[in-house]
Order: sequence, then structure tokens, then C-alpha cells
Amino acid sequence: MQDGTFFKELAEQGVRDYRSGRLDRRSFLALCAVAGAAPLAVSMGDAEAAANEIVMWNWGGDAVKCHTDAFGGPFAGDTGMKFKVDTSGPLQGKVKEMVDSGNVTADVADADAFDAIALGKSGHLEAIDYSIVDKSQVLEGFAWEHGVSIIFYGYAFMYDTGKFKDDPPSTWADFFDTAKYPGKRSLYKWANGAIEAALLADGVAGDAVYPIDLDRALAKIRSIKPDTYYWGSGAEAQQMIIDAEVSMGMVWLNRAKNVEADTGGRFRLNMNEAIAMPGAYIVPKGNPAGRENVMKFIASCQTPERQIALLECHGMTPSNPKAFGMIPDALQRFAVTSEENLSRVVLNDPVWWAENGGETVNRYLEAIG
Amino acid sequence: MRLAGIHHGAGGACWLLVAPLLGLVIALYAWPVAEILWLGFSDPEPGLQNYEKLFTRTALAKILWTTLRICTITTLLSVTIGYLIAYTMVHLGARERSWMLTLVLISFWVSVLVRAFAWLTLLGRNGPVNAALAAGGLIDEPVAFVRNELGVLIGMTHYMIPYAVLPLLANMQGIDRRIMDASHNLGAGAATTFTRIYLPLTTPGVVAASLLVFVISLGFYVTPALLGGGRVLMVAEYVSVQVLVTVQWGVASMLATLLLAGVFGLMYVLSRFMRLGDVFGARA
Repeated sequence: MQDGTFFKELAEQGVRDYRSGRLDRRSFLALCAVAGAAPLAVSMGDAEAAANEIVMWNWGGDAVKCHTDAFGGPFAGDTGMKFKVDTSGPLQGKVKEMVDSGNVTADVADADAFDAIALGKSGHLEAIDYSIVDKSQVLEGFAWEHGVSIIFYGYAFMYDTGKFKDDPPSTWADFFDTAKYPGKRSLYKWANGAIEAALLADGVAGDAVYPIDLDRALAKIRSIKPDTYYWGSGAEAQQMIIDAEVSMGMVWLNRAKNVEADTGGRFRLNMNEAIAMPGAYIVPKGNPAGRENVMKFIASCQTPERQIALLECHGMTPSNPKAFGMIPDALQRFAVTSEENLSRVVLNDPVWWAENGGETVNRYLEAIG
Repeated sequence: MRLAGIHHGAGGACWLLVAPLLGLVIALYAWPVAEILWLGFSDPEPGLQNYEKLFTRTALAKILWTTLRICTITTLLSVTIGYLIAYTMVHLGARERSWMLTLVLISFWVSVLVRAFAWLTLLGRNGPVNAALAAGGLIDEPVAFVRNELGVLIGMTHYMIPYAVLPLLANMQGIDRRIMDASHNLGAGAATTFTRIYLPLTTPGVVAASLLVFVISLGFYVTPALLGGGRVLMVAEYVSVQVLVTVQWGVASMLATLLLAGVFGLMYVLSRFMRLGDVFGARA
């Protein structure tokens, strides 16, 4: 088994080196002899395929269709390269495992910015090539050495208009005030967004949230613990709201429009003080399509029209300032970077999360468990 | 069956025959597992600091206790209910029995995710069960069946009942009914016959079912995550978070080692007062 994999990789590397001119023909043939003819035939096919396609690692669901229609399809049209999707979800641990195992199967992952910083630091990512990817096509401050923001997503809460018609809640302080606004609440289970929301509710100003005072945030989270459910997936968050189990529920922003529609407008999104999360496209070290190909793909995802297409399909907000003005009216209210929202959202600090995320998640789990 | 020749003359040959399989198991299973468990002592740096966390990180003791408590209660409930089902099955006609078996197996095959969401819908605050209870005037406020520990127990017990029924059924079907007739004949009442004859005869089935249910329950992840409303954290989910999100593989490996050692420990204790071969249906 081990040997088979080794020879396959040797052969694939050989094919790549031979094509790029790093390996002369004689050495290439010698390498073929060592690796054996049969596996080589397969490997040449694989390596050729790998160099001619981009595998995007995302979270499945609507993202498959939306990434393919908005990014993959147009890129294939530009370059003739195929586009494939791996839907297993590029959590930090999985990216690390993939790179450490030496069997890298994804070219680009739709990850979080704090993953880009943490995994970049631990040496698991290719650096972004800013001679191909255009730094000026990203909201300032959201292009890092090992990842670049293509979209923003975020956390905000939705509330029951049937219950709170006259005096609708509009701040996280309202969300945490279960006396004034009775009913159950829901928060994200892995700390992101919930921590910032708690601090805002406790009176911390939006621009003073970082560095996070974790003890203060957790005390606030605990204060409504008996009334809070915690969700780990978008489907759960949606179910809690659609079944009206909560009177206010935190959601991923990109889902909010659908939830409003599914509840017939009974639940409404509050965008004030939403926590905007920069996503990051990251490239696992040693990606199969090669660094240049994947950088071209990432650059193509900066195209404003394509970012708008993704917003329309998947609710993910553009990161390219040139796209901000193109956000359709109907989606203005749901988009992090629309004119009406950009000034009233709190932008997540991925550097703080990259450094403190692990410990924060554990302390949060401790507090809610 | 006796294969004396092989036992005596050719012990070495026997091992030779199983050697390829043994090699495969070691290479593909034992070795990777050992590597993962070793992380508990080597990641992020060599030493015992991951095990030290058991005492310094207060959440860990709580998570382990929650896991043990929930698994024990789940085992008690599933084996009790499974016993009743299996008992009914062996005393029914062949037709009814196969119908019941089909029903048990259908629930066995439904995905754990589907079941969890089904329970959430059925037992939720605005679900049909609460609605019916409220309509009947039995309750004023919705009962919190799910998104708490009760929900986890309902979901896990439901999931584990087939695992309890199957070994119990196999065990009960092997019991000679004439023994009970003899007991009655000798003057024992139904209760005495059950407690002194039937129950002891089904002990291997009960132990097998309990062990199976308990060990599988230890690894439960999806059901507690969904039905516990995020507040019931069991070891498996915590391990998964440490592997995938916080990337503290050493802590994950330490907890995995504890679980594995716990299961082996349990087997050892049981093996002290009964033959595990009997429990799992091995025949000499």
C-alpha cells in the first residue's frame, strides 16, 4: 500500500517536473522504470487530470451548485480547466491532516480567515501570489500572506415579528434581555460571533471588541444559558427558527433571506451589529493543480460580476469593493458590504481568532456545557 | 468439534496460516491506532501534559462524567426495553415474530441524523406531542422533551434498542422451553420460574446486550449534539472538536486512549466472572 502510493506520487511528481522542464527526458524515463509501467499509466492520467482541473473544497449543500455556476463554470470557459468540488468541509484539522499525510487532493478551500492565518503560520498553506491575485480588488485589510478574502459571511439574529411587533429588538443588548423580550434564544455552538455579540450586549463599543475580554463575554453568555439552545449547523439554526422554538435566533447571514421566506415573513433579520466574518480562499501546500493554476482561479473569483452571481445564488457577500455598488436592491439588506450595512456591522478580527481560537472554543464549550 | 491434531501437532502451522491476516490487521489497523494514541504523549510536545489537563481543565472531568452517566442510563433503558421486546418475540408465533423483527430492523437501518431531526420535530416545543398534551389540557407550558439531557436519552435509547434486542433474541431462542415447564411442574409459580430459571439463563444475553449498547453509546456524537441543544457535551463530540476545530490533537488522542482503555477494562472485569466467548455466542 505504502509503496504503491509512494510510486504513484513519484510518478506524478515526475510527470509534473518533466512537463515544467525541471526533469530531462532520460531521467523521466528512468523514473518510469523505477515506478513500474502499470502504475505509471494511471499516474500519468491522474497527474494530467490534476493539472487540468481545479478542485474546490467547500461545505457542500447549495455551495456546490453556486460555486460551480458563479466561479467554476466561467473559469472553465476562460481557461478550459475543469472544476470539481469536494464537499467535506475544510475545517482546520482536516486541512492540517491532508497536508501532513502528503495526499493533497484539493486546490483551494473555502475557509475562514483565521484558518488562513493559523495554518499559514504552521506551514500548511501555499502563499498567495499577489502578482496574479489582485490585492486592490479586496476590501482593505482582508488579503493576507496565506489567504485572501473572496466573500464575507456573518452572524446576525432573526426575531419573531409575531411576538415583538411594536418594539422590535435591534441590538445584541435586546437579544440578551430575556425579561424585556421573553422566549428562547439560539447561538452558534463553536463560539464565533456569539462571543462578539455578548460583548456588544454588555456595552462594549463595536470598535473596542478586540482584543476580546473572554471572561466578560462568557459571563454574559452564561447569563441567558437556561434560555439558550446552541446550534452547530445551518440546518439546526434554521429548524429552531422555522419551528418557532426560539423567539430570537442567531443565524448565518447567507441563510437569512431563505428563512424569512420559509416563515412567511414571521421572522425578520436584524442586521444592526451583525458580526461580519471574512472568508478566505486558502491553498493547501502541494496542491495538485500547481500554484500558478490555482492563483489564476482565485484571481478569477475576484471578478465583481462573479461575486455578485455568488451573492445571488448563495447569499455570500462580495469582498471586492468594485462589486459593492452592484449589489441588487433586493439583496442590499442581507449583504454585509452593502452601503446600508457596511458601517453598522462589526468586522471580525481573524488575527485574534487565529491566536486564541482553540482556547476560546474550549472555554466557550465549558461555559455552555 | 475437536481438532486435536491441529491443536497439538501443528500449533506453528496454525499461526502461519493466520499470519497474512494478522499482518494485515496490524498494518492497517493496530499500527495506525497506535500512532494516533501516541499523539497523546507527543503532541504538541513530548510529555504527559495532555494527561495533566484531565486535572487542570475542569471541563474534562465534567464531560467524562456526563458521558458515563448518559451511557449507563441509556444501557439500562435500552436493555430493559429490549428484553421486553425480545421476550415477547420468542413467545409469539413465527409469523408475528418475523413481523416484529422486520420492524426492529427497519428502525435499525434509519440514519441517525434522520432520527434525531424526527425527534426534534415530534417532541419540540411546538411539536405534535406538546400540541396534543396542551389540547388535552394536561399541560400549560410546553414540556422540554428535547434540547436537553432527556432528549439525548430518548434519542440514544431509541437508537440502541435494536442493538439490545438482537443478542437477547439469539440468547432466548436458544433456551429449551421444557425447562420452564419442568419448573412449573415442580410447583414454582410464574414469578419464581422467571427470577430463578429464566433470568439466570438469559444472563449471558443481558451482559452481551449491555456491553454492546454501552460501548457503542460511548462513541455517540450526532444524537447528543442535536438533541442536547448544544448543552450536553459528550466525549466523542469533544474529541471531534479538538481534532477538527481547535486542532489540539494531543488532547483528542488522550481522551481516545481513555475511552479505549475504559472499554478494555470493562471487558477484563467481565471476563473475571464470565466467559466472554459465551457472551458473544462463540461455541467451543
